[in-house]
Amino acid sequence: MRRVVLQGLLAHKLRLALTGLAIVLGVTFISGTLVLTDTLHNTFTTLFGHVYQNVDFEIRGTAAFSNNGSNGGAVRKPIPQSIAITVRRIPGVAYADGIVSGYAQFIAPDGKAISTGGAPNLGLSYDPNQQLSALDLSAGAAPTSAHDVVMDAGTAEKYHFAVGDRVQVLLAGPPQTFTISGIVKFGTADNLAGATIAAFNLPTAQRVFGEEGRFDAIDVLTTPGAEKSKVQHAIAAALPKGVQVVTGQTVANEQSNDINQAFSFLSTALLVFAFISLFVGGFTIFNTFSITVGQRTRELALLRIVGASRRQVFRSVIAEAFILGTMASLIGLGLGVAAAVGLEALLKGLGITLPSGSFVFEGRTVVVALLVGIGVTVISAISPARRAVRVPPVAALADYHAEEQESSRRRITVGSVLGLFGIALLVLGLSKPAIQAVGVGAIALFIGIGMLAPIVARPMASVIGRPLARLFGISGRLGRENSMRSPRRTAQTASALMVGLALVSTIAVFGASLSKSVTSSVDNAINANYIITSSAQGGAGEFSNSVSSVAANLPGVTSVSTVYQGAFEIRDSLPNLTAVSTTHLSRTVILRMVSGRGEAALAAGQLLIDTNTANSQHLSVGSVVPVKFAQTGKSTLRIGGIFQPNALIGSYLVGDDFFLSHFNNPLPVAVLLQTKGASSATRHAIDTGLRPYPNLKIQTRAGFEKSQQQQLDQLLGLVYALLALAVVIALIGIVNTLMLSVFERTHEIGLLRAVGMKRRQVRSMIRLESVILAVFGAIIGILVGTALGTAFASSLKQQGVTDIVIPVSRLLLFLILSALLGLGAASWPARRAAKLDVLTAIATN
Amino acid sequence: MTIIEHEASDPASPSTVPAARAIDLVKTYGKGDAMVHALDGINVEFDSGRFTAVMGPSGSGKSTLMHCMAGLDTPTSGRTFVGEREIGRLDDAGLTQMRRDQVGFVFQSFNLVPTLNARENITLPCDLAKTKVDPEWFDYLVAQLGIGNRLSHRPSEMSGGQQQRVACARALIARPDLIFADEPTGNLDSNSSAEMLEFLRRSVTDMRQSIVMVTHDARGAAYADRVVFLADGSVVGELLSPTADSILERMKQLGG
Repeated sequence: MRRVVLQGLLAHKLRLALTGLAIVLGVTFISGTLVLTDTLHNTFTTLFGHVYQNVDFEIRGTAAFSNNGSNGGAVRKPIPQSIAITVRRIPGVAYADGIVSGYAQFIAPDGKAISTGGAPNLGLSYDPNQQLSALDLSAGAAPTSAHDVVMDAGTAEKYHFAVGDRVQVLLAGPPQTFTISGIVKFGTADNLAGATIAAFNLPTAQRVFGEEGRFDAIDVLTTPGAEKSKVQHAIAAALPKGVQVVTGQTVANEQSNDINQAFSFLSTALLVFAFISLFVGGFTIFNTFSITVGQRTRELALLRIVGASRRQVFRSVIAEAFILGTMASLIGLGLGVAAAVGLEALLKGLGITLPSGSFVFEGRTVVVALLVGIGVTVISAISPARRAVRVPPVAALADYHAEEQESSRRRITVGSVLGLFGIALLVLGLSKPAIQAVGVGAIALFIGIGMLAPIVARPMASVIGRPLARLFGISGRLGRENSMRSPRRTAQTASALMVGLALVSTIAVFGASLSKSVTSSVDNAINANYIITSSAQGGAGEFSNSVSSVAANLPGVTSVSTVYQGAFEIRDSLPNLTAVSTTHLSRTVILRMVSGRGEAALAAGQLLIDTNTANSQHLSVGSVVPVKFAQTGKSTLRIGGIFQPNALIGSYLVGDDFFLSHFNNPLPVAVLLQTKGASSATRHAIDTGLRPYPNLKIQTRAGFEKSQQQQLDQLLGLVYALLALAVVIALIGIVNTLMLSVFERTHEIGLLRAVGMKRRQVRSMIRLESVILAVFGAIIGILVGTALGTAFASSLKQQGVTDIVIPVSRLLLFLILSALLGLGAASWPARRAAKLDVLTAIATN
Repeated sequence: MTIIEHEASDPASPSTVPAARAIDLVKTYGKGDAMVHALDGINVEFDSGRFTAVMGPSGSGKSTLMHCMAGLDTPTSGRTFVGEREIGRLDDAGLTQMRRDQVGFVFQSFNLVPTLNARENITLPCDLAKTKVDPEWFDYLVAQLGIGNRLSHRPSEMSGGQQQRVACARALIARPDLIFADEPTGNLDSNSSAEMLEFLRRSVTDMRQSIVMVTHDARGAAYADRVVFLADGSVVGELLSPTADSILERMKQLGG
């Protein structure tokens, strides 16, 4: 039996390749993701290991919040500078000095702010003790004077800076000019994964980062031979409350853990798309196996006649799937590794240099790739294998005609139950919200619809095919007949595309709704004519707090509101707190109060919350809630008012005075300007006045809306690109089915050719059948996707998705694209059918 | 040697248990007015160690009879036996076991697995049953059938006669008690047909193989020890030690 399976596989290499391709692509995606994220993770772990390898202890503020929130690293309060002096006196301490860090961004010779991708612009204090410093001088000298800066080699190389050059640096305060005293590398890397580095001597760093008299932390070296645990105890005993001493190893571990979390999010997101691809691949495998089992009825029956048991037949189909899955997974694994290597090279090409870390290929990657690849293939083949078992031995006889005992009633029942179960899970998952329930629900729904699709396949193929039959004459008519001939096969083939398009349409509807909601929410949130944000990618950067005062003095500007944001602890959660200037509030921000007071409450140092928060947290005006700030510790806040959800502000709002007194030297995230009209003279004045700050993006409200939408579109574009793979796999499934159909109908095609059908007509017959298949799948997919997208969007109403938009023209575009893709998928099978030799085709039975 | 051993271990003679028999066998298709009696209460026995031909015009039910007796089709009523085993009492596993060690099949269309070569096709029943192929028996069959130089060929690389001889070897490889042959020469030219029938005849004469062959060719049926005639689903007569002429004569009488 093993031989039958192996020889059978070898005899159909093309079918094998096409079927396996679906799995190859999915597994490539999975293994590539795993290898890439493992490698990145390892790189950063190595990096932090390197940074802290010589640091014996670090003295720092204790974590301000018990819960670290979603931002990774713990928030810590700076410590007084005087601690360093105390610590240096402790026996066994050889060296102890402070480190500070903050925002510092170089300005390129052309006046633009330098940034790479989304990587941060790091400002550091330069530790002259080379044993402690993570920065290695590759040229020049350490910064000694208040006018010195050292620059990372990556930036220096890209923008042609050399030692002795003068460079402007954007800081928390006004921009300043420094002299480059040296160029540094980060270990062996030119920069830190794309982040730029500007390092100053310690006093300068403290000054430019607004940390005079304070350190972020103190790094400690012990004298050789000192007993480290004793030293640590001695240091701990000397520290005031709220300050702790930990080993360098601890810090390195913490930092690599934070990075690990960030990467696990990335890998989870990518893996979700990989699994979607494999899921669609599963549909095409199921379809191929169903068809080949049908085509091999005679052979299977023959095996039964010469003594094969049911179990042997079942196992033969499963074994075929297993071998296919194994081969495809191994190839996918190899390609995945290659893709990860390629991606890393691509990152390097983009200027995101990584330390020469080793390439990580974990055993886990192999296990996951093989398990998932083989698992999907084998599971998809179970139902066809069961059908193979039902082939009676008598089917081997020449005059046997299978009585179509379609188990359609059972299929409809199971399909309906699965579909309803899926819908129920989806509803439950969306209302919770529980992502897993949504995922399982979607899978169940898709399989259920796939099982029910054969019911509508014949009538729908008939309707879709009618205009084609009219337009293309006999080839159109035959193509239509062929697509109606086996509703089950038509539906199965279209199912994979259905899933792909359902997902794409979901995103389209969801995205359009989100986009519309963004526009209306900006209009409902901001009054100001101009909005100033960071030019860093996504506008998520910070900029100098001197911008507000500069802008306030510009001609034409009537009022300015500075927006800050920072994390605070309220009832065990760690949300963002937004602050706005209380004066002129109504001229720049639209605050629709539902109850309580607005401006007055902010001025009085009270907290405003939006209605969603009020409802979910059961808070009302006058409630007093315990809160905690990193800098100032525990406190209470009185709820001064409740406002309608506002896209700019978020859930929690305080006045700027209050905010500044509880946060250490915060940087604005946005500055809102109200002007006398929006004349070009005003615009010119603003642009000119803020020219020293090239890291700003100055936008009108309309421009801001547009850029928000563009960001959204970019994100959606990425999602479309990731889903495209699933659509490609679905198309491979169509190619495969058509090839099998052409093979199956060799005799019939020969007959048609014999009675005078031209090659061209044969080609268009196959192509039109493919178009009908694709459009059928697309229609169902788009309908399902529209429903799903609407459901997703409406479930996020509380989160600000207030408008539901169905982008009809875009969905129609998808439909047309699907038809064209169907046409493309048919080109190879169509050529093959047209090439058939008439005589041999007729002789084939 | 092998042959003698085979005889010794299987001393069945025409007087003992028949190789297969049917009792009151009925097979109907369709319902009501459209009901067709393919088999109308047939009682027949096929002797062990003998070559029996089943003849009859198209639609006489001869193929249906064979399918029911071989367990390929389920009769509407009545009982069938292969040896002492009652087929109606067997489940799928039992039927599979019976196909493995009691019966072999030869069909009109040669029915080889296209992806396997001749050798692999011949040994397939043993491979499926996970029993060892008797190499001497294999060599004997291959030599008798004259396919020794074709063993590594795929079915598509062989002539119809060669394919049918491979199918024959496959039917015999597991030494079944009974061979069912369904129009085995239907797709062969007269030379190949004669060789095939001579081989079947020899295997009965030399090795006491039991064979039931459905055919409508009088010359083919003349190789048999006995011919059973079927018409409209009933046994309508039989001939012992037939010749082609006597068979044709009888066919004429039956209006075939």
